[in-house]
Amino acid sequence: MTVSGHQYDLDRWSVEAALQGVLPEPIQEHFVVINGRRWPPKQVLALVTGLDRADFTTHQARRALTRLGFSAARAASSSGHDPVASSAAGPLRPAVSGTAKWSESSVEALRPFIGLWVAVRGDEVLVAAPSAKEVVAWLAQHRQRAQSMFRVPDSEEAITGAAPQ
Amino acid sequence: MRFAFRALPAASGGVLTPRPVVDIALEGLPDAPMECLLDTGALRTRMSAELAPLAGIELSGVLTEQFYIGGLKTVGALARVGLTLADGTDEFSWDAPVWFCDPWPHPFGLAGLEGFLHYFLVTINAYDGYLDLQPQP
Repeated sequence: MTVSGHQYDLDRWSVEAALQGVLPEPIQEHFVVINGRRWPPKQVLALVTGLDRADFTTHQARRALTRLGFSAARAASSSGHDPVASSAAGPLRPAVSGTAKWSESSVEALRPFIGLWVAVRGDEVLVAAPSAKEVVAWLAQHRQRAQSMFRVPDSEEAITGAAPQ
Repeated sequence: MRFAFRALPAASGGVLTPRPVVDIALEGLPDAPMECLLDTGALRTRMSAELAPLAGIELSGVLTEQFYIGGLKTVGALARVGLTLADGTDEFSWDAPVWFCDPWPHPFGLAGLEGFLHYFLVTINAYDGYLDLQPQP
């Protein structure tokens, strides 16, 4: 694969491996799905090639990664703005009508993160990490405001009061 | 202020029963409101102790108590902190006692009588899966 005039020997497994232990940055508009999570294409390509992000465009990154077999899409709504802009743009929590029901999409969005701490806004998982400290640090670093933070339970017992002895 | 029950994925597949939860922001940690289960049977409002240092809440030298939760022995440290509840349109802030517990087995906090329910008129509509909270001045 050639990126910005340089030749790289990449496959989907080496990309997946390179992302282990890394947290995705906020999605601006485009994303690719790798290891069950959404990633900004430029973050991924910069990470696996070592290139500066200014050396290629989002579309080039997206095209390179889809060639490796990763699905890509455009986010329904941009989340890459600061908390002030976020608050001004609309509510963090969608308005709840008289017959509110939980949404299946929000459950499925959380499924890849069972056992991890997450910060969510609406149905969107902003970040998932092994500790609350890492989640809070990510929110501060990327100037994001979550609607809610919690750990996705890895067992029914964790939320029914039957804690381990 | 209206809050939909939250459903979570079950590790074994499927969906865990949706529960009444509220997201409470600790003073000093406004960008990461902690999900708390509304617990009408709990006297205290309790959260994981790991949140306290993230919010800059000092727990050394404060009142502590030992108790069991779900069979797990834990220690709670009491701090009076500013809390904020927001539904996206309105928000309400109050000052209340919170017990920060270590270890803490739950993936969320518990919003109990002292610290939470004393400050709201609460209507739970489990049939439709939401709760209404009316702040009490």
